[in-house]
Amino acid sequence: MIRLIGGEMPGWHEDRPPAGGALYGYLTDQLPAGASVLVAGPHDHALIETLAARTAVTCLVRSQPEAERLDARGLDVLCGTLTKLTEAGRWDAVVALDGLGRLCSVEGPQYDWAESLRSLRNALLPGGVLLLTVENELGVHRLVDPAAATAARTDDAWRPLGEFDDSKPGNPARLAGRLAAEDLALGWLGAAWPEPGSPTLIATPEALRDGPADALAAVAASAVATAYRNRSVLSDPRRLAAAAVRGGIGPELAAAWLVIAHRAPLPATPLRAAPVLLGDGPVLEIGPGPDGEWVRRVRREVPGRDHAPAGPLPPGRLLEELLLGACLRHDLPAIRGLLTGWMAALPDASPDNVVVAGETFAELDPSVPARADVLSGLATTLLTGGYAHPWPAATDLRTLTAILHGAAGLPGDVPAIPPGDDPPAPDSRREHEEQLRSLRRLLADADARAEQYELEIAKRDTELTKARVQIATFSGSFGYRMAKLGYGVARKARQRLRKRT
Amino acid sequence: MHHANHFYGHAHVLAEYCGLDPEHPPRIEGYVQHGWNVVDGLGIGTPYLPGRPIFVWSEQTRRRAWSMGRRQATVIGAPFLYLLRFAPPAPEPAARAGTIWYPFHGWESQQVKGSHRRLIDEIMATEAGPVTFCLYWNEYRDDRLRAVYEKAGRVICHGYRGYQWQDTDIRFLHHQLSELRAHQRVASNRLSSAIFYGVAAGCEPAVYGDPMHLEREDRATAERIRRQWPELHGERPAPAAARRSALAELGDGYLASPAELRAMLGWTLDRTVPEPGAVPA
Repeated sequence: MIRLIGGEMPGWHEDRPPAGGALYGYLTDQLPAGASVLVAGPHDHALIETLAARTAVTCLVRSQPEAERLDARGLDVLCGTLTKLTEAGRWDAVVALDGLGRLCSVEGPQYDWAESLRSLRNALLPGGVLLLTVENELGVHRLVDPAAATAARTDDAWRPLGEFDDSKPGNPARLAGRLAAEDLALGWLGAAWPEPGSPTLIATPEALRDGPADALAAVAASAVATAYRNRSVLSDPRRLAAAAVRGGIGPELAAAWLVIAHRAPLPATPLRAAPVLLGDGPVLEIGPGPDGEWVRRVRREVPGRDHAPAGPLPPGRLLEELLLGACLRHDLPAIRGLLTGWMAALPDASPDNVVVAGETFAELDPSVPARADVLSGLATTLLTGGYAHPWPAATDLRTLTAILHGAAGLPGDVPAIPPGDDPPAPDSRREHEEQLRSLRRLLADADARAEQYELEIAKRDTELTKARVQIATFSGSFGYRMAKLGYGVARKARQRLRKRT
Repeated sequence: MHHANHFYGHAHVLAEYCGLDPEHPPRIEGYVQHGWNVVDGLGIGTPYLPGRPIFVWSEQTRRRAWSMGRRQATVIGAPFLYLLRFAPPAPEPAARAGTIWYPFHGWESQQVKGSHRRLIDEIMATEAGPVTFCLYWNEYRDDRLRAVYEKAGRVICHGYRGYQWQDTDIRFLHHQLSELRAHQRVASNRLSSAIFYGVAAGCEPAVYGDPMHLEREDRATAERIRRQWPELHGERPAPAAARRSALAELGDGYLASPAELRAMLGWTLDRTVPEPGAVPA
């Protein structure tokens, strides 16, 4: 059933996809059965329907066509703008995983972040739970975006505030503060990657602080890599995400924060989630096991989809990062050690799926398909990324791959492996700049060499001409040389005779 | 690329290490550092072609070369260390005795100035055992000078360095290795390649005596060398520290495998098919 509450947008379709994905689905499944739930803002239908199968769901959307679609699926719908939502203390839970940015329509007052939060808080019963996503305006997705949020020209960007909404918190601590100010007790907070709309990795600040930072950084890089395949970016988000996690500012630079908060009073068993949630279909939890070692637990399987197995999370640092670091330091012994260990242990695994702890090489996600040309892939990363490395004169892929092959201690020259499709990497503007710079340098070097070759040829030409004269003087058949000698003698004799006369 | 790649048979040693014909090394796609120096690894006056690698001995030299604008400096380690990888082992038991002494030498464009007689007196007063004087070809060919040294001890020369790919003694380093292995100590009046090679071949190093000087020499460089490597200077430097420092200068630990080296030098099999009348270097 649809109830039009005012401010609805007839004929309006949201520009961007709704919030959804495996992890959001998994989190909403944690809501107690039988609770009354308000799903505020655009959410994936699969998520809503799964929730509606076990609890009473009301949807709040501003788009009238969307409201009609939800109604057609038998859902209870409120259609209109958030400012018209006046029902106070009605729901046990409010799900706002799309954030607070798509709740007000064009009609009527335009709530900022804090006002929107207050409005949703008011809709909760005392002790009710709020599932809220807060986009980080300084998140990795924003930092690598070639377009500024404040320059958006899409139909839904009638007020593109971006980072200029001063009521929006800028880090997890301030978010907790804003929630507390609204009488909402923070029960759980997770930092989410790669994007607010459908994260595939959510980790608590405590897990990022106390857990295996290097392995979690590798997991973050991997989550970002999948989302940014072939996408145009300013700089490589994989490095940014991993460096932030390793550097202890993972939560501060995550794409979003996900909170579970309760309206006072806090229930006896507040809703909480795992330290780390991972998955884009199958869902895994990562957390400390009984003996302190961090382990993966499979929480949801999807038929036909592979996933990393349950068991210990392999510790250590991502091989690709170790190799890049050793290359930047020009530490040839370390590079050769890593390459040799890698080729001995996991010669078909891409370096962004291998973690190294001491002498142990382990696949981060063994379900990732094997590749035959991993060394060529590493050479591509070094060249296109513009990374300094110990073989700067090897500017073509074939030569650098051959060098890496030798440095890995593999026998013979590079076997003729047909290069596979390069793993789709982010298409980074910074790398474009580097490639342009590199090509300019190669061209300038080639020009300078051509000039020196010209000089060298001129010098050799002079020598050649001289040598030809000498050769002509001392070559030819015996008769020819005798005749030439005789002619020379006769000429000298004639000159002498002339002088006497 | 440049005829200095053939000096002392460096290209030949590298070819043998790579499993190629040591008498006819293929053309190297770059410049091999032909002696220890405290600049960018290139010899004085080498006409450098931009974009081509300078194959330097040590990471420290690479950093220095980078700071001098040489972006393609590539560390391979000294060819002498590659020779040690494949040369037959030293005869057992080790029969080392005395000191092999390398007086500071000149070359085609610069001759050494100073008193050789005074240097010899200083050497003979310092060394306890027999002394072999190893003269550079430049001094060895000077009959008068050679005679001065011959009065004090055995005089040898490892061979001719080579010039424009002509008359190179391609077993220069082999001769040097076997002589070094026959001596307890290696010494010179200047820190130089020979001292580093001596250390790598198991000798105890010493750098002492009148350093003399080259015509038109920049003496500040010599003083800088003494300040930077004090552990290698003196009549009896502490062997452990001297060895560590000397091996670092030769690029010990940085040597490439034959396959890696071939790829670096442009010697992959598809590129080294001999062409008739191929140009060396």
